[in-house]
Amino acid sequence: MKRFDIVTLESPNRAAFRIEGFLFGDENSKGPSVAIVGAMSGDHINQLYVASGLVEYLRIKEEEGNIIGRILVIPAVNAYAINMGEKNWPLDKTDLNMMFPGYALGETTQRITSRLFETLKGYDYGIILEGRRDQGMCLPYVKLIQSGYEDLECVKDLGLGFIHYRPHDPIETAMLQYNWQLWETKAFSIVFGKNGAIDQSTSNEVHTAIVRFLSKREMLDTPVFEGRKSNIVDPNRITILKASRAGILISKVQCGAHVQKGETLGKIIDALSGQKLEKIVSPCEGIVTCQYAHPLIFQNSIIFRIASVEHCCHIDSAKSTSD
Amino acid sequence: MGLIEEVLTIELPVGENFRIQRCRYVPKKGEPTKRISVVSGIHGDELEGQYVCFLLGQWLREHPEAIKGTIDIYPAINSLGIDSITRSVPFYDVDLNRTFPGSKNDFLPAQIADGVVDVMRGSDFAIDIHSSNVFLREIPQVRIAKSQEEILVPLANLLNIDFVWVHDAVTVLESTFAHAMNTIGTKTLVVEMGVGMRLGEAYGHQLLDGLLNLMAHEGILDIAPLDVRFPIQSHVGEVAYLNAACPGLFVPAIDHCQIIKQGSVVGHIVSALSGEVLDEVIAPIGGILFTIRAYPIVYEGSLLGRIFGENNEAI
Repeated sequence: MKRFDIVTLESPNRAAFRIEGFLFGDENSKGPSVAIVGAMSGDHINQLYVASGLVEYLRIKEEEGNIIGRILVIPAVNAYAINMGEKNWPLDKTDLNMMFPGYALGETTQRITSRLFETLKGYDYGIILEGRRDQGMCLPYVKLIQSGYEDLECVKDLGLGFIHYRPHDPIETAMLQYNWQLWETKAFSIVFGKNGAIDQSTSNEVHTAIVRFLSKREMLDTPVFEGRKSNIVDPNRITILKASRAGILISKVQCGAHVQKGETLGKIIDALSGQKLEKIVSPCEGIVTCQYAHPLIFQNSIIFRIASVEHCCHIDSAKSTSD
Repeated sequence: MGLIEEVLTIELPVGENFRIQRCRYVPKKGEPTKRISVVSGIHGDELEGQYVCFLLGQWLREHPEAIKGTIDIYPAINSLGIDSITRSVPFYDVDLNRTFPGSKNDFLPAQIADGVVDVMRGSDFAIDIHSSNVFLREIPQVRIAKSQEEILVPLANLLNIDFVWVHDAVTVLESTFAHAMNTIGTKTLVVEMGVGMRLGEAYGHQLLDGLLNLMAHEGILDIAPLDVRFPIQSHVGEVAYLNAACPGLFVPAIDHCQIIKQGSVVGHIVSALSGEVLDEVIAPIGGILFTIRAYPIVYEGSLLGRIFGENNEAI
C-alpha cells in the first residue's frame, strides 16, 4: 500500500489541507484500474466510513497477494469541512463536487479539483461514493448519468438492487461523474445512507458490492457471492409520497420495506399541539427506496419514494429493448 | 400603494410558514401595458437589492399616476436566508440559484425554485439583483450569457450601470433563475453590485434611475426617459483576473473602481503570524479595477480583483 498526498494546500492559519490517496497493486500494472472517491462533502460520513473500510480491507488483501489490478482509494476529499462540521469548502461554501474538472489557474476550489482530477484521469473505472443532497436516506443505488460515454454493462457487476439511469441535469456537468466519463473513465456513483450518520447494514452492502465489482472486473483475486440482478429505474417514474402538512414525522417503515397498497407508512403530528395532521398511506405495492430521515418535516417534502415492479426493468430486458 | 400578497407559502415544522411576498403595482386606469418583476434575495447574504426594492416602492407610491404596466417587487426570495445571514437555503444548505427551474417533486429548495418560476411566468422582464457575495465588491454591472447577447444587451444599456459583461456561459448556469426565466420568454437581466451583507446607498439610487429609465422606454411608466450613463461594453476589451499566489491576509493598496496602470500595486498578501509581506499583487494590465476583494482572508487561488482593460488603449 502506498499512502500519498494527492493535493496539498497551505492555509492562512490552519494546518495544511491535504487530500490523501491509498494505492494498492503495482503502480505500473497494465491490468485494469479503478479509483474510488469517498467523502466530497463534510457530511458524507457514511461514504468516509465505507472508503476507509475498503482501505483496511485492501491492505490485508495486498498482504495476502490478492491485488491483481491497480486500485486507488481516496477516503476524504473535503477533510477541512468534515473536521469542522461544514458541508462545503469552509471559506467560500462552494461544493467541491460542483467544481469539476477544475481550473489550475482559477479559484481555490477549482485548483483543488483540478489537481485531484489530474490524478483521477486514466483509470479504467471510477466509483464515486455519494451522499444525498436532501434530508433523506435511501437504499444503496447506482446513479449513472447519460453523458454519451457511460457504461451500463459494468455497473451490474456491483449486484445492487437498483440503477438510476437517466439524462444528466445541467448542474451535473460540473460534477465529477460527468467529467470523468468525458475523459473515458467508466465512472458511476453509488448513492447511499443518510448524511452525517453511519448505517452499518448499508455500509456492509456497499462494501460487499464494491468488492464484488473489483473481483468480477479482475482487480482483486477473491471469491465473492453473486449479487442481485439489478433493476433499472427511471427516477421520474418512482411513486412519490409528499407531506401535505409540516410537523413531526413518525415513520413506521424503513428503507427496503416491501409495502402493500393501502398500508399505513407513518404519520405527521403537529409539533406544538401533538394533533395528528396526516396519516401516510401507500398508494401502491412496492419497495421503499428512500425516506425522509429528519424528524421535522416541511410541507410538500418527499416522505417516501416507492419503486413499483411495473416501473422497473431488468438490465437484460432494457438492453434488448434498446437493441 | 401596491398590493402586498403572499405568492408562495410552505409550512415549516413548528408554527411558521416559509413565505415569498410580492408588492404589485398596477395602473389606476386601463389595462397594464407590460409586466416587470424586480427580484432580490435569491442569495440570503445579498442585500443591495432590498434597498433598490425600497427605493422603487417609495417612488411608485409617490407617482401612482405614472404607472402604465404591472410592476411586481419581490424583495426576499430566500426569506429564511435573508433574515438569518445565510446565503443558501437554510436547513438544506443548497444554493437556490443552482436549483432552477426546480421541480414540484424534489426537495424544498427545488420546490421553491419551481414556485418562483410559476409566479413570475408571464412577466415581460425580470431584473435579478445580486450583490456579488461577502468576498468581493463589484461596480454596478449586468452579466449576460453570449447566447442572449443580442436580446439582452440593448436592455442592459438602459439600466444606468457601469459595465455590461457578456461571457461564455458554462452549462451550470443553466440552473440559475435568469436562465430559467429567459428560457420561458421573460427577458431577464442579472445585476451584480456592491458587496454581500452591506448596503451601498449610491449604487441603490443609481440602479433605481436605471429601472425607471428601462420602464419608461418600455412603456411601463409614463415618464420621460432619464439621462443615464452608457455602460462600458466587455467586447471592446479584456478582463484580467487577479488570484492570490499564496494564503494570508489581503490588504488592498487602492480603492475599488480606480483606473490603474499596468504594473501598479493592487495590494499585498501578508502574514499575521510572522509579520512578513508574502506577496505583492501587481496589475497585469491597465484598466478599471471593477472587482476587488472585500474579505481579507485568502487561500491560494482566492480572487483578489478583476481589471477591465480596453484593447489598444494605453492607460
